[in-house]
Amino acid sequence: MKLTIDRVSKRYGANTLALQDFSLDLGSGILGLLGPNGAGKTTLMSILATITKPTSGTIQWNGTDLAADPNAIRSVLGYLPQDFGVYPNLNAVEFLEYLAAVKGLDSASARRRIDELLNLVNLTDVRKRPLGGYSGGMRQRIGIAQALLNDPKLLIVDEPTAGLDPEERVRFRNLLSDLSGDRIVILSTHIVSDVEATATDIALIAQGRLVAHAAPEELLRAVEGKVWEWVVPSSELNAARQQFLISNTSRRGDGVHVRLLASQPPPGTTSVAPTLEDAYLFCLSQHRAGAAA
Amino acid sequence: MKHPWRVLYQMAKADFLERVRRYSFLLILAGALYMAYAVITEKVVVVVGDGYRGVYNSAWIGMLMAICCSTFLSLCGFYVVKNAIERDSTTRVGRILAATPMPKVLYTVAKTVSNFAVLASMVLVLMAAALAMQWLRPEARPISLWQLWSPFLLIDLPVMFVAGSLALLFETLPVLRGGVGNVIYFFLWTFALTGGATTGMDDATGIHVLTTSTQQALARLDPGGKTKNFSLSIGPDHAWRTFLWNGVDWTPRLLAARLLWAATGLGLAVLASVFFHRFDPAREKIRDKKLKEKRNAVVDDPALAIEHPQPTPARATLTPLGARGQNRFTRLVLSELFLMIKGLHWWWYVVAAGLLIAEFASPTAQAREGVLLAAWIWPVLVWSQMGCRESRNATQSLIFSAERVVYRQLAALWTAGVLVALLTGAGTAFRLLTSLDWPQLAAWCAGALFIPSLALALGVWSGSSKLFEAIYTMWWYVGPLHQLPSLDFVGGSRASSSPGLYLTLAAALLLASCLGRRRQVAYA
Repeated sequence: MKLTIDRVSKRYGANTLALQDFSLDLGSGILGLLGPNGAGKTTLMSILATITKPTSGTIQWNGTDLAADPNAIRSVLGYLPQDFGVYPNLNAVEFLEYLAAVKGLDSASARRRIDELLNLVNLTDVRKRPLGGYSGGMRQRIGIAQALLNDPKLLIVDEPTAGLDPEERVRFRNLLSDLSGDRIVILSTHIVSDVEATATDIALIAQGRLVAHAAPEELLRAVEGKVWEWVVPSSELNAARQQFLISNTSRRGDGVHVRLLASQPPPGTTSVAPTLEDAYLFCLSQHRAGAAA
Repeated sequence: MKHPWRVLYQMAKADFLERVRRYSFLLILAGALYMAYAVITEKVVVVVGDGYRGVYNSAWIGMLMAICCSTFLSLCGFYVVKNAIERDSTTRVGRILAATPMPKVLYTVAKTVSNFAVLASMVLVLMAAALAMQWLRPEARPISLWQLWSPFLLIDLPVMFVAGSLALLFETLPVLRGGVGNVIYFFLWTFALTGGATTGMDDATGIHVLTTSTQQALARLDPGGKTKNFSLSIGPDHAWRTFLWNGVDWTPRLLAARLLWAATGLGLAVLASVFFHRFDPAREKIRDKKLKEKRNAVVDDPALAIEHPQPTPARATLTPLGARGQNRFTRLVLSELFLMIKGLHWWWYVVAAGLLIAEFASPTAQAREGVLLAAWIWPVLVWSQMGCRESRNATQSLIFSAERVVYRQLAALWTAGVLVALLTGAGTAFRLLTSLDWPQLAAWCAGALFIPSLALALGVWSGSSKLFEAIYTMWWYVGPLHQLPSLDFVGGSRASSSPGLYLTLAAALLLASCLGRRRQVAYA
């Protein structure tokens, strides 16, 4: 099972380049696609899901070119878009039955699968309620269920935890980890903790370019010895912000505990273990500095 | 609120710009220009009295174009602009607006002004076209701008304002917001045109001002002749005599009546503010909630479902799927059919069943000429969902990423639409079959294939149900109901039916649907 993205670019209009020469090779596991807003994550997801064509470059699924045979990927694809709608008059079962028919599942398999999925996404109790009456989180869970209908080998989920309460978010992370065994899962998000909890690989994307592709441990190693904690009075916080790349602040009795990234530590700081959020911010800042230079 | 006029202007401007940059505006504009072309080339003519038409001077050309504008644009334009609130709701801009100090009445008036601006811009285009027409057709000179344009300014603009304000009022009323409102407006429009109005306040479209004036001019010329006739005709019904008409004598009474109609439009905009929900989700979904309560007596609050989570499975697994089924297409057709009829009220089925029984029970001629017409207008809101359901409900990314979606899903959808036509018209088919009326049966078949093809093509290309609702209802009224040859797709009579034409059209529309869907799907 292999997904190859080779020098893919996508241009919108004359001036907007959403993706630039993006290349990536993926095998089974969960790829966390991280990047700031407007980095090109959703564009990449849409291209992989055959919703949008790239302006240039190729995508291959197990050696088959997506442009030559898009159905090769569609038949194994589960896709949860960032923004999607539902048919408000249908209930959860009817909606999933409809999508199962569109995806070519037979009735018996579809019925069995729908029962399983509604249980997995915790919607069994409200299965007969029209979707028009669902809350945002419930609707998101229906989206997750439909993505899994056809037992996808390639699962693309774009901001899947948006709108989910903390309990459901944890539930979804676990579900994704459990299902990732023999699939390629691409999880696009800007919530670093979601990636931290699930991803086996991370791709950082900014301004349409691949900034880094590595295992979480490798990214963490890159910032080892560069993360510091500094206690400053509230009045000096703004000055600290100007001076350093700050990944977190928390106010306590002795002042503001500032978590900062720097190669050379300022006086009075103590070294702390890096998190993935630190690594993410460090990589982005390096990329921005490189782009500015 | 500070500077309400500025707010009104900016809201109306933003809304106007957002609309005129959409394809649907260009589509209607193209339609309006075609209408102007049809007038220039005498495809659309007005015949007064016993075969008279006016000399093509400024007054006659202005009147002719203004009548077309008042009739067709007041219908199509209504459907084009009846989405002002809906768009703010779907783009979620409405919720931002709702959180500002903006009074409701300011919002509804601004939206009405925007509706009017869109329609008025089309009137302006036709005014320019009228000028070009007189220049291109030098039957009478000189050009008098007042005679040419006064019917537009005094007849059409108030009509457009009323149509725009009615569109907004319909949007604020839950019952009239959807397809039911579209159909009701059509009948309201028909009544306004054909009702026995005089030149007073009961003349909403202003047409009777023009008909009365031309008939009076003709009566002076031909006192003994048949002057009461006044018909706007499409096709070969040409006049063979001319008379000179120099325009309407705009008396203060006539002007007051037109101004009163404009004021009525403003009144309707203010009335709409009473019903406007201000994007309150609780009020927006009152109907949904009622439905939900009925279907779900146990769980009626989304929060309850979250409060009782099921235990998280120890490890999520999915049982393997079997081989893909052999009857996948049949299943998809049934799913599409189910989706089409889901959400219809019980009384819809009662009426459809009643019409079907009436078809079986009526003599063949009555079934064909009468009951079938009703049976095939009744599912208009079912057919109108075809091809645009994905864009209306934002499910494109879910559907269009499926395997072989263009031909398989589109073919299933079309088949489901044909099934609706076959089922609702089955009684007539049975009567025709038992009376061995093969030509009429062929016409019936062509109709059953043509209607869903038209719905699918218009739905796919416009992304909205309204275009089909407007065109189909109007076509049904002009063609089948009046058994107009070449426009009668139902085949009400032998003289008016053209099965070959409608079979060809059905095939062309189906092809157009495929092309439209290919455009929507990246890898078709």
